[in-house]
Amino acid sequence: MNSPASPEQLAALEAENKPAPVAKKRRWRSDKLAAAGVTVPFFAIFSLFQILPLGWVVINSFKYDEEWSLENYLEILDSAFLQQAFWNSIVLSVGCSLLAIILGTAGAYSLRLIDGKLRSFVIAFSNMTSNFAGVPLAFAFVIILGFNGAFTLLFKSLGWIDDFNLYGFGGLLLIYTYFQLPLALLLLYPAFDALKKDWEEAAWLLGASHVDYWRKIAIPVLTPALLGTFIILLANALGAYATVYALTSGNYNVITIRIASMVSGDIFLDPNLASAVSVLLVLLLAFVTVINQWLMKRSYHEQ
Amino acid sequence: MSYVEVNNLAKAFGDSKVFADINFSISQGEFVTLLGPSGCGKSTLLRCLAGLETVDHGNITVGGDDITDLAPQRRGIAMVFQSYALFPNMNVIDNIAFGLRMQKLSEDEVQRRVKEGVELVELNGRESHYPHQLSGGQRQRVALARSLVMKPRILLLDEPLSALDARIRRSLREQIRLIQQDLQLTTIFVTHDQEEALTMSDRIFLMNEGQIVQSGTAEEIYTEPADSFVAGFIGNYNLLDQQQAKALIDVETNHQLAIRPESILIRTMSPSDGGNYSAPIQATVKSSMLLGNVIRYRMEAEHGELVVDLLNRSSERLVSRGTALELQVNLDEIREVA
Amino acid sequence: MNSNSNRIHYVVVYSLFAILLLPLLSTALYSLASQWGATILPDSLTFDWYIQLWSDPRFLQAFGHSVLICLAALALGTILTVPTIFVVFYYFPKLHWVMNILILLPFAVPPVVSSVGLLQLYAGEPLQLIGTPWILIFTYFTIALPFMYRAIANSMQALNLKDLMDAAHLLGASTFRAFLLVIIPNIRKGLMVSLFLSFSFLFGEFVFANILVGTRYETLQVYLFNMRQTSGHFTSAIVISYFVFVLIFTWIANRLNK
Repeated sequence: MNSPASPEQLAALEAENKPAPVAKKRRWRSDKLAAAGVTVPFFAIFSLFQILPLGWVVINSFKYDEEWSLENYLEILDSAFLQQAFWNSIVLSVGCSLLAIILGTAGAYSLRLIDGKLRSFVIAFSNMTSNFAGVPLAFAFVIILGFNGAFTLLFKSLGWIDDFNLYGFGGLLLIYTYFQLPLALLLLYPAFDALKKDWEEAAWLLGASHVDYWRKIAIPVLTPALLGTFIILLANALGAYATVYALTSGNYNVITIRIASMVSGDIFLDPNLASAVSVLLVLLLAFVTVINQWLMKRSYHEQ
Repeated sequence: MSYVEVNNLAKAFGDSKVFADINFSISQGEFVTLLGPSGCGKSTLLRCLAGLETVDHGNITVGGDDITDLAPQRRGIAMVFQSYALFPNMNVIDNIAFGLRMQKLSEDEVQRRVKEGVELVELNGRESHYPHQLSGGQRQRVALARSLVMKPRILLLDEPLSALDARIRRSLREQIRLIQQDLQLTTIFVTHDQEEALTMSDRIFLMNEGQIVQSGTAEEIYTEPADSFVAGFIGNYNLLDQQQAKALIDVETNHQLAIRPESILIRTMSPSDGGNYSAPIQATVKSSMLLGNVIRYRMEAEHGELVVDLLNRSSERLVSRGTALELQVNLDEIREVA
Repeated sequence: MNSNSNRIHYVVVYSLFAILLLPLLSTALYSLASQWGATILPDSLTFDWYIQLWSDPRFLQAFGHSVLICLAALALGTILTVPTIFVVFYYFPKLHWVMNILILLPFAVPPVVSSVGLLQLYAGEPLQLIGTPWILIFTYFTIALPFMYRAIANSMQALNLKDLMDAAHLLGASTFRAFLLVIIPNIRKGLMVSLFLSFSFLFGEFVFANILVGTRYETLQVYLFNMRQTSGHFTSAIVISYFVFVLIFTWIANRLNK
């Protein structure tokens, strides 16, 4: 290999450089501008279809008959029906999330302690069943737990139950817990990573009992992850629509059903009232999301 | 005129000034090292030369061309990064060929030059390997080849060896220097390791807080430090203030005295070289360390501490803590520093 | 850990597996049963329901609609998101937090709520998108975004973006070429996994499909819902067909992840 750029190459380079080289700072700035331009379609579409609708909802929640007013919110305060919707949503969501967390924790903990092949299989299976939600799930549950469902009949014949109403609170709790379970499992499984085996051994050497270890070390370490997962599950349940709609044809009173029925469907449409209810739901969800972000920051989870 | 000339270069990031008035020139084929502690501005200076940062003021000239405002693609400068920056999705050949393909050379020519590059850095047999399959030293050699095949006017190296272990570092050091000398390639090397600077460079620019505090050959910088910073940075100089200088070796000074550890003898060896030595100093051994070919003593004298280096010869026995010894300083080798 | 407590863990895991499997299994059985009256197990097995389903033109059309919409939404998502994430990471790293907040929106704002606004904004002039597949493509893009963003951002973060771009620049490449030759190949894997997972997720979407479009451009989920009055066997066949299709996609995503 010979010496650096020969005179001819240097001359060629010079010739290339002759057309006035743009001042570096100016060029960098116009580069940045072009780059920003590239992102415009992304932000445009996102704004049009995510931000704008939200904006419309917020603004119109404060509009009654074309005028600014708090009438919609007052109506919510007056309506026992709407308040029941909120109550139902919250109870249902908290209930199924708690159940899912308990089952998920037990599951995740046990999963870690069994052999690798079964473990990866169950995790993959969990991944796949997390797609089994909404309308398909509702129909599946009707088959097994509907009035003539296989299991309803089985339990009836065993004398365990008299009649099971899948379409009431109990049934919904069951089906909601079912679709929350894979999510809980997948979120909690890595959290147990935070528990290092050494800790248990170290605690044991220092004289701690099994219970002590769990109470003083394991649970405190796991708590942020547990809470974080609970909150994600909660948000997931609060916003769910398809499952309950498909199962009850929109007859069970939860927030999402109420909102949808006020903007589409056959009866009385009131998009502004729907907006007010929506705003409250979003506030609830935003509150829940913010707490989750804050919890994540506080987690003891080592990377 | 020199090959590379830098005049009045200034760079600041927002309110914090990196350097305000850098001036230097480098001859063709010279190997220059920018040496200094972290934060002294050496990497930023290098990146300004490469065009990866803009300068606020001043100009840079290479071979007579003003390149100050040119994009990095057009400066004819190649750079080796500390993190190697090898493209993970390409094997050795494609990495080395990248810049050549950007120049739209014929594929035959590209392959020919890549082959030359691979041979130059001795990576034969690894051409189809991917970066994650190579060791740190091998990756660095790929990065080097990738730069060299571009036949650049200047080669820049930004602490290329810091991430490697000591043995590889030393062998790569020699390899880089040999290649550079063979190719007569003007090279600027950035490091904070004074041993690297001393062993590789034609000249060293020692930087501190955005300024070049001293420039010169390795020998010049080592034996004639310009000030106490240089003396403290390069080597293991003992620095004596006015009082200590007077008390220990009876020398008047207005500033400080810098004394190299190898300039101090232990009295048990009578100085036979006819040098100009001070009167004996009483001291006790505070600690003794075997550094391989050097034994380093920290001696506690009445007016201060002195570091003394002796070659590890069979005539030396490692003396234990607390032993009282007499020292003599070679007065021809002391230097006054500000 | 003695063998007793170990057995408990196996019991737990198998129970979990059974719980998750049950609805699926029952539906699969139901779809293969010719008759299943008020008894615990079906009377006899048949493939008739599947044959009936897959020869139903309305089903095939709904299936096709779903596939089309999901593919279009993901294509749109990729074309818009990848360059945007690159631009933010490379040119405007300080605006990271904006992106992080944006992708939280689809979580904090359920599709039902967005529908309220969407129905009002795009039912008439200037942009009449309600009832057309376009509104679905765009809304699906927004809900797939969090998945895609996470995967692409993680891949890009793993690269030493600045150094790679600097090296490419010095070797003569423009920013655009460096993006194509160096950045894209290295995020491909993460992108593909997220695409397959997002596809499965979008394929099961019902809310937007039903409220914004309904039968005017029937997707698979809407079709399924509209068939609820027909035989349970028939709807089971739909459910299983849907699920197997989605299974294949998640399985591919799993394999790609290795």
